[in-house]
Amino acid sequence: MSASTIFASSTVYRTLIQLVGIAVLSVLAGCGVKEVNVQGQFPEPLMTKLPLTLGIWYGEDFRNHEFFDEAKSRKDSEWLVKTGDAQVQMWDTLLNGMFVTIVPMRANPGPDVLNQVVDAVLIPHVDELQYAIPAHTNVKVYEIWMRYRYELVTNTGEPIADWTMTSYGKTPTAFLQSDEAAVNLAAVVALRDAGANFATNFTRVPAVREWLEQKWRRPGEQPHEP
Amino acid sequence: MSHKLLPLALLGLALSGCVTATVDEMVFNVPTDGIGDATVVILGRRHASDYETEPDFIECVGDHISRADKSITVMGELEFINALYPWFEPRTAPLRPQDIDRLMQQEPVAMKMSELKTEYMIWIDGSTVRGDSAGSMTCGIGPGGAGCFGFGTWSNTSEYEAVIWDFTDRAEVGRVNTSATGQSYMPAVVIPIPIIAPVQGTACDGIGDQLLEFLSSEY
Repeated sequence: MSASTIFASSTVYRTLIQLVGIAVLSVLAGCGVKEVNVQGQFPEPLMTKLPLTLGIWYGEDFRNHEFFDEAKSRKDSEWLVKTGDAQVQMWDTLLNGMFVTIVPMRANPGPDVLNQVVDAVLIPHVDELQYAIPAHTNVKVYEIWMRYRYELVTNTGEPIADWTMTSYGKTPTAFLQSDEAAVNLAAVVALRDAGANFATNFTRVPAVREWLEQKWRRPGEQPHEP
Repeated sequence: MSHKLLPLALLGLALSGCVTATVDEMVFNVPTDGIGDATVVILGRRHASDYETEPDFIECVGDHISRADKSITVMGELEFINALYPWFEPRTAPLRPQDIDRLMQQEPVAMKMSELKTEYMIWIDGSTVRGDSAGSMTCGIGPGGAGCFGFGTWSNTSEYEAVIWDFTDRAEVGRVNTSATGQSYMPAVVIPIPIIAPVQGTACDGIGDQLLEFLSSEY
């Protein structure tokens, strides 16, 4: 056997071993945790921008938001769905379309914190999240329900308004669609719904409305609704 | 060429289950000269809790219309709802033609609608569900090979309703209902042979043909 034949055989053998390894790992991965890093595209809202300079602060919990089976620990959960990146992407896009100026804050607003000057700072939180997949229910629909809590505060952290809103997303089972793809789609629908709810109801929140009326009563500023 | 395609067509027919379809139409005001250079948008209703109109069905109806009459511009559903976000989400979508007035009070929405030249908005509500199934099938794998043996059958039912809104007059101008049922079979002797009834496809063709009669001057 020539050197080149031995080399070729060993290369083929190594490739074969690698392929078998990949196949075994794929099978094992199928048995393990199903991890979804939610990804989607979120359009900018089509509305007249509110003439406000709004600061935005995403807390660590929000920025790295994820969920898993509540009955189990994160390690033992069958599902791990990371929504943090998609949350930030969606809210950045939405708020940029809703307000004239958006300012990402340097720090969580507080009395002794040096921050940029803005009209108010919005701090979103995901207070609760529930999900259902066909394995949990007999309905062939993947569902995600979220309850958001929003804080609207001044630069120095004094509260202006505090309110909650819910969002819901579902997607039917589809032929050749994996569980992960279906959960991702349900999460994207829920995020879009959260944005739609916020965009259409922001100025109707009683405490926000009152604050806007006070602000726009000052000379040189006009009331404006989306 | 046609001789070569004949066996394939026969095989396709043999592997298709039976479907029965019914289409009801109720049209109030058909445009006499078609819709000209205006665009049509077909949207699925998604506000029910237990089902949602499948996006691929909406795409199928749109393709059916634009394939049959190339002069009709059918705007993609996702493209439309993205362009008008957040006003056509399940939570915010108008449920009655009169709700369009409320929407058009938003200046950016009115401008976008004018830019898109949307003349007709067609809302499709319904879904295809799998009904009773029967039979059993056993599959096995061994050193000599793998195979299945048995028989399975199931039914599918499609129920859809299309409501046509005239965007300019803010009025409902037509309504089309379609229902289709079909039985699919899967006999297996070593290899499973699916004989699938194209229930959703038949409903799509039925509703698409009726909408063409409404929208196209050629039908």
